[in-house]
Amino acid sequence: MKSPLIDCQQLTHVYSGKVALSNVSFKLDAGEPVGLVGPNGAGKTTLLSILSGFLRPTSGTVRLFGQPPGATQLIGKVSALPQVARLDPSFTIIEQLVFYARLQGFTTQQAALEAGRVLEEVSLTEATHEKPAVLSHGMAKRVAIAQALIGKPALILLDEPTAGLDPVNVRTVRAIIAERSPATTFVISSHDLAELDRLCKHILLLENGILQPQTIGLNEEQAVIRYITLQMETGAASEVIAELKALGGVLQVTNPQKNEFIVAYDPGLQPHMDLQLMQCINSHHWQYRQLSHGKTLEEKLFFRD
Amino acid sequence: MHPGFFDHLLLIGKFELKRSFATRSGLLSIVTFAVVWCVILLYPLRLAAELLVQEKGLMQGFSFFDVIGFGSLQQWPIPEFGLFWHFALLIFPLLSIMLAADQTCSDRERGTLRFIVVRSSRDRVFFGRFAGVMMIQALLISAAGLSTLALVLYRDAALFSSALPDLFVVTVNLVLAVLPFTAMMAALSAKVKSARQATVWAVLIWTFLAGIIGGFAYYLPTLGFLKLLVPGYQLSALAELSGWQTLQLAYVPLWQSLILLALGRWIMARQTL
Repeated sequence: MKSPLIDCQQLTHVYSGKVALSNVSFKLDAGEPVGLVGPNGAGKTTLLSILSGFLRPTSGTVRLFGQPPGATQLIGKVSALPQVARLDPSFTIIEQLVFYARLQGFTTQQAALEAGRVLEEVSLTEATHEKPAVLSHGMAKRVAIAQALIGKPALILLDEPTAGLDPVNVRTVRAIIAERSPATTFVISSHDLAELDRLCKHILLLENGILQPQTIGLNEEQAVIRYITLQMETGAASEVIAELKALGGVLQVTNPQKNEFIVAYDPGLQPHMDLQLMQCINSHHWQYRQLSHGKTLEEKLFFRD
Repeated sequence: MHPGFFDHLLLIGKFELKRSFATRSGLLSIVTFAVVWCVILLYPLRLAAELLVQEKGLMQGFSFFDVIGFGSLQQWPIPEFGLFWHFALLIFPLLSIMLAADQTCSDRERGTLRFIVVRSSRDRVFFGRFAGVMMIQALLISAAGLSTLALVLYRDAALFSSALPDLFVVTVNLVLAVLPFTAMMAALSAKVKSARQATVWAVLIWTFLAGIIGGFAYYLPTLGFLKLLVPGYQLSALAELSGWQTLQLAYVPLWQSLILLALGRWIMARQTL
């Protein structure tokens, strides 16, 4: 029988008396990127550190491809971008990436080519022969991402991959993830919910070290109640809510943030709610910025009913 | 196919050699060592060797070196190697503590070790770094030995064939002598946060261990065997030996190294990276 990509059972980690993870159990199979979210101190980095083999759990078991983290059988299969890790200041970027590729089993010649390729992938060819000290925070982050891409790992664990990157490079990282999925499964920890919303089909939510029972699937096709999120440019909130509530099939309208409205509706009564909303906006001469199906990830995760 | 244990040992060891011989900071340390060794070689070592050579033709049964407690120097057929042996027994263990202090600690604090461990293993990194530092020290010891050989040949080129076995035995013995010091630093480096901390702890542990065990052994002579736990315990006894006799005590550093490496490996396996 094929082992799951990740299998965690009753994982607990305690730092000097403080529980960082409590009885976390889950299984993940290969496939689309998985998001790992939660507030600060929820245990995301602890979980990724355990999965990467940087940290030993206080109790519980972890298996990646049926092997414990850090097993030599995982070399080249699993790769990681740690949240805090810097390259050796004594060597150039290319020297270190070639060394890492050699450890993964590449010959000297292949390693040089592979190191050049991953640097090109993160648009950093100009920094090839630089030492880490001259790199900006964003460039250092991109080099750290580059090292995680060496070879063809089946699983890449990314801890805050886009933190500190400019929008252009965020887009590059997003493109790399999209291009490599689902051949490579990514587990991405991030606070950028909009980013995860774009990339991930499944979300693991950690709160105070406890994995919330439901992994959140973003597919709402089968739901009895559906949602549309509407972002307006103008329009008085009370007037918008009143008008939207009057539409057929609308069950509830909420206004969680300024100019943002969530319309809950029954698709059985009104299957084309989006068109109805557009007509309503048009007839009142309101300006809207965005209309999207479903709730935002932020709403789903942190403002659940 | 994945590289095996020894492939990684070699790769990691070679990377450490590159750090010492092909980076600016590494080269600076090597040049400093070379300058210090040149001064020792050209002044105290050369002058004392000349004195020993002169003494051989003088009074029998009396020697200046006996008076100052270095009578064993006269047992060496080539005095330069006897002196090299005495100087090296003092210098190389001290150098080892400094050179081997940063085997894993700063990389662990910086997070660099995470990049390496994810594509290797903790054991391979620990033993690879140890092997690398031992290779560097073996090269330095060999270079110092060869420079001593050059000094011997400068005095008398005919001594070449008789000097080679001495060079070999001294080099092997010195490599063995620094083994437990390097293993001790590997274990400390796996635990502490910086090379400076590792050095301080090494000095403290070594001093207290030697003092406490020495005290126990004084009052309870049956506990004298505990001295075997102190790295460098055999050095003073080694200084009294010459030539191939010096290998008589090789078992001491070998056992100490095995114990310290096992301890270091245990620490490394449990350490958070």
